[in-house]
Amino acid sequence: MPSRKTDLLQGTLDLLILQIVALGPLHGYAVAQRLKQVSRDALHVQQGSLYPALHRLEERGWLKAEWRGTDTGREAKFYQLTSAGRKQLERERSDWQRLANAVALVLKTAE
Amino acid sequence: MPRISAWFRRQRLDRDLEKELQFHVDQHVRDLISAGLSPDVARRRARIELGGMEQVKERVRESRSGAWFDRLRFDTRDALRGLRRTPGVACTAILLIGLVIGGNTTIFSMVYGILTKPARGVEASRLVTLSSSVNGEPDPGHSYQDYLEYASRSTTVRSPLANQFDRFTLTLATGSFAFRGARVTNNYFTTLGVPLARGRAFTDSENRLDGSGLVAVISYRVWREQFRGAEDIIGQAVILNGHPATVIGVAAAGFQGPWLTDASQVWVPLVAYTRLVGQGPSGFRPLNVIGQLAPGVSLAAAQSEFRAISSQLEAAHPDTNRARRVVVVPYSVTAGGNSIIAQRGSMFLAIFSVITMLTVVIVCANVANLMLARAAVRQRETAVRYSLGATRVGIVRGLLIEGLLISLAAWLGACVFAIWTSRLIAGIVPAAAQGSALPLDFTPDWRVVTYAMGLALVATIAFTLAPAVRAWRQDVLPWLKAGEQGIVQGRSRLSSTLVIVQLALAVLLLTSAGLAYRSTSLISGRSVGFETENLVLTTVSTTGAAPNDDSNQALLEALRERLRSAPGVRSVSYARSVPSMPDRQWRQDPVRRNTAEASLRAWVTAVGPDYLQVLGLSPLAGREFTADDRVATRASAIVNQNLADALWPGEPALGRTLQLRAGHAEVEVVGVAPNALFSGYGNETKPNFVFLSQRQEPAPPGEMTFYVRYTGALDAIAPAIGRALKDVDARVPMVYLRTLDAELYANTWPVRFISLLLVLFAAGSLTIAAIGQYAVVAFDMKRRTRDFGIRIALGASSRQLLSAAIWDGLRWTAVGLLIGFALSLGAGRAFRSVLFGITPTDALTYVSVFVVLAIASLLACYLPARSVSQIDPIRALRQD
Repeated sequence: MPSRKTDLLQGTLDLLILQIVALGPLHGYAVAQRLKQVSRDALHVQQGSLYPALHRLEERGWLKAEWRGTDTGREAKFYQLTSAGRKQLERERSDWQRLANAVALVLKTAE
Repeated sequence: MPRISAWFRRQRLDRDLEKELQFHVDQHVRDLISAGLSPDVARRRARIELGGMEQVKERVRESRSGAWFDRLRFDTRDALRGLRRTPGVACTAILLIGLVIGGNTTIFSMVYGILTKPARGVEASRLVTLSSSVNGEPDPGHSYQDYLEYASRSTTVRSPLANQFDRFTLTLATGSFAFRGARVTNNYFTTLGVPLARGRAFTDSENRLDGSGLVAVISYRVWREQFRGAEDIIGQAVILNGHPATVIGVAAAGFQGPWLTDASQVWVPLVAYTRLVGQGPSGFRPLNVIGQLAPGVSLAAAQSEFRAISSQLEAAHPDTNRARRVVVVPYSVTAGGNSIIAQRGSMFLAIFSVITMLTVVIVCANVANLMLARAAVRQRETAVRYSLGATRVGIVRGLLIEGLLISLAAWLGACVFAIWTSRLIAGIVPAAAQGSALPLDFTPDWRVVTYAMGLALVATIAFTLAPAVRAWRQDVLPWLKAGEQGIVQGRSRLSSTLVIVQLALAVLLLTSAGLAYRSTSLISGRSVGFETENLVLTTVSTTGAAPNDDSNQALLEALRERLRSAPGVRSVSYARSVPSMPDRQWRQDPVRRNTAEASLRAWVTAVGPDYLQVLGLSPLAGREFTADDRVATRASAIVNQNLADALWPGEPALGRTLQLRAGHAEVEVVGVAPNALFSGYGNETKPNFVFLSQRQEPAPPGEMTFYVRYTGALDAIAPAIGRALKDVDARVPMVYLRTLDAELYANTWPVRFISLLLVLFAAGSLTIAAIGQYAVVAFDMKRRTRDFGIRIALGASSRQLLSAAIWDGLRWTAVGLLIGFALSLGAGRAFRSVLFGITPTDALTYVSVFVVLAIASLLACYLPARSVSQIDPIRALRQD
């Protein structure tokens, strides 16, 4: 698989999942696909990381899951953002923004 | 119960997860096929990318909140399986750890029981004892003046109480009874937190003795026994040491004073009583002071305050308080009081703590060795686990859980063992000092159980560490390629070291036990130097019948005369001291020929007429004290042969004068006594004695012991003595009566006790060390079965194999023995002060230990080696 692996910062995966799922209910496979597409193939999440994260977020009450039929007629587990999850997303986004700005600032002055 | 419900939900969650992941894979395959791959290739690609369905599932499980619980369950199940596969090792480990923790916990509960428990009935917490020292030497107590200063100056110690030990004779219509008791301050009961079962404590006016008369509080026991629990006890008139007094209170049941050994039954107001008996300021000394730490004040803060108070008092009263320092110690530490157990016992217990700790080390080394041997066989299993994706942390966690399971089982066994042995030991310990039965409470409580648990945890870590380190470092490949028993390495250096450690410590314990045992047998074989049979010691208290020294002396003479005429009595004498070393009446004083010389030390005591005759001795020269010695005649003394030889070698001692301690008049030697152990068994081989005449040194009313030599049965003489005493004065109670043999036995019990325990521990550790060596050798042999098979197939005889295996084992035995004997020599020196009459290099002890250990070690190597050396080579090679 010729995918460039980018090591995700601890906790970043949670933010990405919450962001992707915020756009509408998705099942696990779709979350992985969407992440790949949106990041233009830069972010490739292994199932061994994706599913533990999904289950963790569900357990914390940020995602809620339900089984429903897909377009192919099979049952899949769809994850959806809860209102607590939305608040968490906002928090993580602003945290990330602050971090990114700070890093950018440091990189600029270092030049 | 969220964890439990999570566990029940697990089944459903697992099914869902399986479905979810399957969907993911199928979806992936579908996408890949639609991207143009063939179904086969697509399926393989999807599976590779998944990286293993089980691993993903495992990681999801671990991310759940109840995950640790599941993991623990799996690991525990795994560990149980592992242990069941080698039941011998598991059982041995549990048994060993259980025994050693049990033994150790027993000792701990004894130390704890004696050194940290408050006396019965003392309910107050945060109590501290103010002890004092002068020039760093412990001082018997505080003056009343100082006590008042502490009470007014201190802000950290609240409501300090003062009490002074005393003896009381309680005279009732039914008879006279001798009791221990104390003169106490008003706040005594409130500070100690002792409620009164009846009545009340002392008031200020009662302590000032302004017209209200002497009052007393009695113990619950005296109320039940002497007053038959009379409801109208409060206000009853009694005679206390000859003074009319009124009972105003009954202390709570069980309370017998703040010291474990007190057995106090009567309490009177300190100031009032001291004034009543006409004692000046000196009557107040020495006082014991106990107070309560003020809320929020630490012991250190109280200590620093009392350092300041000590200096202030030194400045204010330089004559009395020079270099006097007050030390604040937790009361519970001092609750043991000045009993034999508290004084010598703490040393014995310290020795035992060391011994039991050594056994813990032996056992941990042993179990570590077993685990190591087991881990060696399991190296292949470990390798397989690694290759299947187990993490190092996971493997070590598994080992740790196995260790914890062993320790858990051992801990349960240890607690049962400790409770059982504590009861047993409390039963063995005789009443330490007669008349003050020591209520030993050795029952383990939660602290003891926690201690055992802590020990079990430490043991777990100690014995899991070695296999864990090995598992951590292990390479995978060589073990996968080899068969189960293919690779034979020699015994590891670690395992050999552990065997040596065990053996060395076992030698140390055995020699210590041997020395102690020899010491006790020397005691039983050693004569005190006088006739101990048919001699009864009768201690009486004269406090109720004699108001002063002179009337006391007259009373003693009258008692002696009456006792002499009692049926069956051959001769009678009296002395304050008894042949028992820790007895407080024996005093070691400086003696010399004249003031210009350096002084020797001798035991000095006053005795009545016919003292030597009663002991079955006659003076070697001169005479002994007779009823004709008068106070007016010149002060006379009898010295023993040792002292006479030391002071006047080769010359007659009779008629010479002797200087005693400062302030004592010069005495003339009127007789020389044979050498005998008049003060009982001690550490000295040739003690010096000086006897003074009791008639010339009238003693204050108090306890006095009559030595009665009799003929006939003890059953007949005891009541005859009682009747004789009553005939003279019914106010003279008998404090206690025992034979001289019993007194001597009580004198030596600490040593008997310590050697009994030492022998038990040593036998235990020898067994453990032997089992350990056996187990390690046996395991090693079994592991090398194939190796032996090959050797036999190549022509080695079973005898050759056997001797090779035994020599291999004995090499370590030799090293262990050598180190052990070196350690023992050091320990023997330390023991010398405790043990009677042995040298630390007692040859018999060392030879016996050597023989015992060598045989044990030989057996431990021989038995397993023999079974393997006789193996059928074909079977050995086919194994695996």
